[in-house]
Amino acid sequence: MRGIASGRQHAAIVLLAWGVALAACLVLIARTPLSTDLSAFLPASPDPGQRLLIEQIRSGTASRTLLIGIEGASGPTRSAASREIANALRRDTATFEQVANGDVAAFAAIGQWLVEHRYLLSPAVDAQRFSAAGLREAIDDTLMLLGTPAGAAAKPLLPRDPSGEMARLAESLIPAQAPRSEGGVWVSRRAERAVMLAVARADGGNLDAQAAAIDRVRGAFSQVQAALPGGSELRLLISGAPLFAVNSRSTIESEARQLSIVGTLVVGLLLALAFASLRALAVGMLPVATGMAAGIAAVAMVFGSVHAMTLGFGATLIGETVDYAIYYLIQARPAGAGHASAAAGQPGWRRWLADSWPTVRIGLLTSVCGFAALVFSGFPGLAQLGVFSIAGLMAAALTTRYLLPVLVPNGAPGQGLRRHMARIAGAIVHHLPRWRLAAAVLAIAAAGVIAWRGAGLWQSDLASLSPVSTAAQALDADLRADIGASDARTMVVARGPDAQAALAAAERAGAVLDTLVQQGRLDGYDSPARLLPSVAVQTARQAALPDEATLRERLIQATSGGALPADRLQPFVADVQAARTMAVLDVERIRDTPIAALVSSMLMRSPDGAWTALLPLQPAGRNGTIDTAALRAALAGIDAERVQVIDIKHELDRLYAGYLREAAAQAAIGAAAVLLLLGLHLRAMHRLFTVVLPLALSVLITLGALAATGTAVGILHLVGLLLVVAVGSNYALFFDALQRRAALDDDTLASLLLANVTTVAAFGLIALSAMPALSAIGRVVAPGALLALLLAAAFTPRRKAGD
Amino acid sequence: MCRIANAGLLAAWFVAVVAMPAAAAAAFDLAALMSLLATPREGTVAFTEQRFVKTLDAPLRASGTLSFAAPDRLERRQTEPAAQTMQVDGNRVTLTRGGRSKTLMLDASPEMLGVIEALRGTLTGNGALLSKHFRTTVSGDAAQWSLELVPLQAELKRSLAGARLWGRQDQLLGVEMTMADGDRSVTTIAPLSSAPAASRPPG
Repeated sequence: MRGIASGRQHAAIVLLAWGVALAACLVLIARTPLSTDLSAFLPASPDPGQRLLIEQIRSGTASRTLLIGIEGASGPTRSAASREIANALRRDTATFEQVANGDVAAFAAIGQWLVEHRYLLSPAVDAQRFSAAGLREAIDDTLMLLGTPAGAAAKPLLPRDPSGEMARLAESLIPAQAPRSEGGVWVSRRAERAVMLAVARADGGNLDAQAAAIDRVRGAFSQVQAALPGGSELRLLISGAPLFAVNSRSTIESEARQLSIVGTLVVGLLLALAFASLRALAVGMLPVATGMAAGIAAVAMVFGSVHAMTLGFGATLIGETVDYAIYYLIQARPAGAGHASAAAGQPGWRRWLADSWPTVRIGLLTSVCGFAALVFSGFPGLAQLGVFSIAGLMAAALTTRYLLPVLVPNGAPGQGLRRHMARIAGAIVHHLPRWRLAAAVLAIAAAGVIAWRGAGLWQSDLASLSPVSTAAQALDADLRADIGASDARTMVVARGPDAQAALAAAERAGAVLDTLVQQGRLDGYDSPARLLPSVAVQTARQAALPDEATLRERLIQATSGGALPADRLQPFVADVQAARTMAVLDVERIRDTPIAALVSSMLMRSPDGAWTALLPLQPAGRNGTIDTAALRAALAGIDAERVQVIDIKHELDRLYAGYLREAAAQAAIGAAAVLLLLGLHLRAMHRLFTVVLPLALSVLITLGALAATGTAVGILHLVGLLLVVAVGSNYALFFDALQRRAALDDDTLASLLLANVTTVAAFGLIALSAMPALSAIGRVVAPGALLALLLAAAFTPRRKAGD
Repeated sequence: MCRIANAGLLAAWFVAVVAMPAAAAAAFDLAALMSLLATPREGTVAFTEQRFVKTLDAPLRASGTLSFAAPDRLERRQTEPAAQTMQVDGNRVTLTRGGRSKTLMLDASPEMLGVIEALRGTLTGNGALLSKHFRTTVSGDAAQWSLELVPLQAELKRSLAGARLWGRQDQLLGVEMTMADGDRSVTTIAPLSSAPAASRPPG
């Protein structure tokens, strides 16, 4: 009586504990925001230069810039469409910060602002220029613009700006590499296409806002298409980081949904076939479900938010927890007549606890070692998957260990197809050892291929992690080449503790870059300090402007005998006087001016409060490249802490190479930890060897297959190989345990086969993912896990008859 | 205002096109002129330029050299009254004045492109290139020809009303440009006195 009572009490406690823990997890999950930010799959802790790069990728202007192309119909129709769409987008100032399509009319506001502030901004303003001789020279220079096509712009301003400060500003601000202009708008040089840029106001990480901005562009296009004659032939092309992010999110969302549904169906179907019992199916799902809840809750606690990818693919990654339920349901059935080791009358779960739990436990620990590598991978997205998997595996194992004995003390009664599975498994185990030689030959061949591919086997760039399709990347490259401006691969970065320091550093760097432009070593460069000079420079320019009486006197000298008499220059004198007392510009003061967006794309405040000025460079010549070493040497005179040269492609590749090295080291450490664990568990060299050999061969052959198919092996493949070790060690351990028992146990064999089929099916699904990151893992783990099972069976030592 | 002015221009152009009497057949036409000019050439000549600007009291004068190398390299090197150069190489333009140089994409600015293509088209005898940007009218004969160009595209018309180039046989002797606001520039070209005999003058 007491036994039963305490048994019930124990059951109640277990159920209660499970219920409370699950409820706590669910509450935590309900309160955690879901993130879909793709930058989770960018490395987290690079050095300062690389951090800037990541910041730019995450929230720089590029992350909010849409590239738009209009094709089809006739040239004039495309130009008209470009103008109409751009105007519609410009009117939506809440959504767009900047829309550029080459339409000069759109720059009227900026031009007006520049005219008003020209004496603070023009690099030519100094005391010499405002001397009588300097003024004469400047006026002669300006007059030389008249009577040319460029004169049309200079002429109306002549009475206000005879020294040509606007021409000088235009010279410094007009980009060296601008798109072709036709019909008053930007067009492609290589295709029949009008092109434009639209910069959204919302942060690049705000994907809802980016999606809304993309919808605005599509909406404006369809309105224009309907309104313009011949508009029905127009086609809209959109590209750019926001589109990629938004599309990837919807890919992630739809794939996550599909994969979880299909995954659940496949696993459910396999369980149903194996047990032919709904109850068994429901119980079998319990560890997975609990693991999911615990995994998400753990991620929520550690990271504060859960990535959609973690949700979508975590279930598949902890698919092996279905195996725990399978092992339990099959192995906990009451001992049949054939089981010498089982005491009659003992509940099934006790037999499982004694025979199988230690194996499941060591399997769990090896898996945890494998997933720990993900936690330390340096990619926040992968770290989430690691934390999720570790917590999920633990929770699932605990559920199997404590909850299932309470719910189904005698395992699953149904027979289903298990007898057939056991027969198949038995046949495989019986025949496989003959294939040992073949496996060894295959492994040697794999080693050969790997050695032959050498360093070329390893992938060295981040592009492979990109979720963007090759076609979309090609369109993006096309539109970028058309627009030209954002092709800046190399930039100079000037930093400072405050905005003024960063601008002053940008000015010092600019002086050096000017020299390089004169020498023809650069075509040009951009700098925020051209639109917003440091306060010191503006004050110096103001100080160079003469007072009214002096200026009048000098003007008379400067214009005597010339074509432009001084008495026409009253507006000039007035403007100079106004500029002398004008409030100097700073970040605050330009906030609501037409140039704010232009400046903020090149001058930004980092989260740590420091300021960064970006100076993108335009290489010299028709197809020029920038000699980064020479550039660094030229800039060496300047405070190296403040001014740096960044070659974006090179930095990204370096970043990735660093992570690949780190991942390889972590994988090695993970593998060593697995070995150590197995060694401690098995306590015999020869047993360790039989367990490890099939794992090592599986990894070798899988890697060899990757090498043979020309795949460049990256971080995610390494992670996949680690999962092969983690999952495969379970199989090897079971074969080791089986081989020490009296007879090959049908139930264990069936459970192994079933567990393997579910794992292969789950990772096979992942392999089909459109996200390259996930399909890489799936393509390694699905075949790797299958190999691990087959090789574990093949290399288990044969027992001699009567042994 | 601007819109009205443009509409006026457009109307004027339309009338001009429709009302234009067909050029007399068998006369010295664009094709004949182009075949006269279509010799690959490379060389340097001297130029003097006068500009008549309405708001100024006196005409502006400039002089220097012009160089051309087929098919698309052109350089205007002004020496008086101040040194400044414009080098065009394909689609790249480099302007140098006051010790500073600035590189631009030629086709990013339709008015600059139009003027350059007028010169390059004439110097290479490329009638198709000229017809792409201008309505062309040829008068005179091989011994003394004149080529009148009226811009076709609105963006070019906004700054340039028209141009007239004249010459003798395969030599370009002068260019007159009339701006949309009525300002004019007249450039006369003469072979450099010290030009080496081996290189043909570009005009």
